[in-house]
Amino acid sequence: MFDLSELNFILNKKKSFKGKISLLNDFLFNNNIEFQVYFFSKNFIKKFEVNNLFYSEKINFQKVFNKFPHKIINQKVIDYLNVFEKSNFQKGGVISALFYKKKPVGFFYLFSNNAKENLFSYSQHISFYFDSFFKEFNLKLKLKNRTTSFQKIMLEIESIFNITELLNSNVDNLSELHQNILLYIISTLNASKGILLIKDINSGTYEIKASIGIKENSLNKKMIRDSKGILNDLKTDNKSKIINNIKDYALSDFSELNCLASPIISQKKIHGSIIIYDKESRDGLVLFNDSDLRLFDNISKKISLSFDNILLLDSLKESKKSIDNIMSSISTGIIKINILGEIEYINSSAKKVFSFNSESVIGNHYYMVFEKNNNLIRLIENTEQKKEVLFESNFDIVDFNDSKHQINLTISPVFDDDNEGSGVVLSFEDLSGINKVKSTFKKYVSENIVDELLKNETLLELGGSEKEVCVLFADIRGFTSLSEKMEASKVVYILNNYFQAMIDVIFKHNGTLDKIIGDELMVLYGVPLKSDNDSQNAVNSAFEMLKELSVFNKKMSNKGFPELGIGIGINYGKVVSGNIGSDQQMNYTVIGDNVNLASRLCSVARAGEIIISDSVYENLKNEEAFKSCKPIILKGKSKPIKNWSFNNNKT
Amino acid sequence: MSKILNVDNSNGLVVISTEGYLNKDLGEEIQNIAVEYIDNGSNNFLLNLSQSNIVNSIGASIIIELIEKLQEVDGKLSFCELAPIIEKTFNIMGLTKYCKTFNSQAEALEALK
Repeated sequence: MFDLSELNFILNKKKSFKGKISLLNDFLFNNNIEFQVYFFSKNFIKKFEVNNLFYSEKINFQKVFNKFPHKIINQKVIDYLNVFEKSNFQKGGVISALFYKKKPVGFFYLFSNNAKENLFSYSQHISFYFDSFFKEFNLKLKLKNRTTSFQKIMLEIESIFNITELLNSNVDNLSELHQNILLYIISTLNASKGILLIKDINSGTYEIKASIGIKENSLNKKMIRDSKGILNDLKTDNKSKIINNIKDYALSDFSELNCLASPIISQKKIHGSIIIYDKESRDGLVLFNDSDLRLFDNISKKISLSFDNILLLDSLKESKKSIDNIMSSISTGIIKINILGEIEYINSSAKKVFSFNSESVIGNHYYMVFEKNNNLIRLIENTEQKKEVLFESNFDIVDFNDSKHQINLTISPVFDDDNEGSGVVLSFEDLSGINKVKSTFKKYVSENIVDELLKNETLLELGGSEKEVCVLFADIRGFTSLSEKMEASKVVYILNNYFQAMIDVIFKHNGTLDKIIGDELMVLYGVPLKSDNDSQNAVNSAFEMLKELSVFNKKMSNKGFPELGIGIGINYGKVVSGNIGSDQQMNYTVIGDNVNLASRLCSVARAGEIIISDSVYENLKNEEAFKSCKPIILKGKSKPIKNWSFNNNKT
Repeated sequence: MSKILNVDNSNGLVVISTEGYLNKDLGEEIQNIAVEYIDNGSNNFLLNLSQSNIVNSIGASIIIELIEKLQEVDGKLSFCELAPIIEKTFNIMGLTKYCKTFNSQAEALEALK
């Protein structure tokens, strides 16, 4: 008799049923015992994955075993067996019944020429082993099934978590969100494919925003509407459903079995739909069932609840894009600092002024960002503390490259809905550009006028228009003959110094230098800005020009230059102003009879003499300085022109 | 669409790279190819899922079957470049208890050579 404890030890070497049967087979073979196992179900054999098990047609258990599960094979037993087993079994062998979950599932056969008397005992032991195998197998199967079902529930819960997380996350890319939603649903429900459609509010058509498992060419470019097919069903029923008669429906070309479809409903309106097709199983495609529908419906409702947020997000993104476009197109620099003092937003003008790039400043504290601008830091701190708007004009800053700028700066506190401070906004104009304009303008007009114009650009009327101005001409007497006797460089030197001295006086009295013609100056009062005392300003300019000229002459005579004498003519009246010239060259100037009259008055004025027209005289406060002169006759004028003269040489 | 992108067998390691949805079809494709290599004596496999961003439980259970087959021949299966959702699914289904995962193929090749 073989050692049963040894068999126990051997069988424990393998955990699987397959391994134990194989070991048992080898053990009995080595002990010269023939051993065969038969099962009545091929599936049962497949389930145990054991190769050396045999299939048998069912036998009559009652007649073969008659209540006791072990029988020594005699003719009576053989008569009840099937043809195949009859030829294999020998009399004197033992046949034992096998039960799985108390049901007869097969039997095994033992035979030995050497140990016939022990076979009965062996079969009882082996039956006991089979019983243990089956119980262990059953337990493992139950555990595996429970684990699988637990894993399935875990995956479902995980999927709901994932979708919640996904819907609540900050999504930059809406199409990525659609695709991810579909990914989670399809994988959770073991679908083989699916689509997510969103309805266009204006046209009522549906657009496929995400698809998985569907060939690109299957998604034909047909217009998708909810007037028929699956979408019409959803519109009618307003709830998730299993659709089985799939071939009759639109959007079903890519399905083989059935599908789950759900509307995306927000504010009682359908905004889209999710359709998933053909559930997978290990053995092939299977139909979606009610349990799948329950989970699918649950997930779809979650998506519907979040759809408002998705729409809001989309609209917010559009608004942000639009605000970004506006912010980047304006010349005002804008910097938003949050309550923590970190730079939250900077527009392109601000980046340009400070020579920043967004990456280097966004999220950094303003202490670091403006480390070269302590005054600015103090102003920001001040606004943060006092929560009042602060304005600074011509404020000096240093940019990232250490270049200096002047800005007009406003720092405003920002408040949240509860009126709590939530940071500050810096808005500023870079004056570098304005200063450039100013310096160019300053060559022609006084600084006062430039400032006035820059403050209120509407005062500057360009284009042809008729306006009343005072025109002053000043001409150097005898300059042609003088210049002929001098070196060219000296002529240029004396002229430049003369003009500089005169133009300073002109600007002092808000005159606008219209042009320099040779040695003659043409100056306007009343353009581009009109005032109530344009004539007085022109006359005051003329007096001071004569005075300044005598200072100039003294200075230049010391350097060996001859003395200059100028004659000045001034007229006030209507002129035509505008940009006059050709496409190639165009200048802003004034033309008309009154301009000609001023020029003519200048031409008759002798050195040191100021001749003004009657219209200028009428507007003067110091008119007593002028004496009436002989009227001048001008070409094209029927009446002589009345005029007044001041002679510096006679005072 | 799902497919096997590449199979590379060098230095005793079979690297299978996939693309798309790791479902029943792709799972079976992987299994069939792996079984061919197992029958020819290979038992060390690396699955590169960098181009697969989704898996279902059927795909994962086929990979479990492959792990069981490899255990019978004392072989092993490793993964690299798993998308977060796939890694979560593999964790829940217990695959990662039996398989190593690597962040990159280069890291996996270095460790498995």
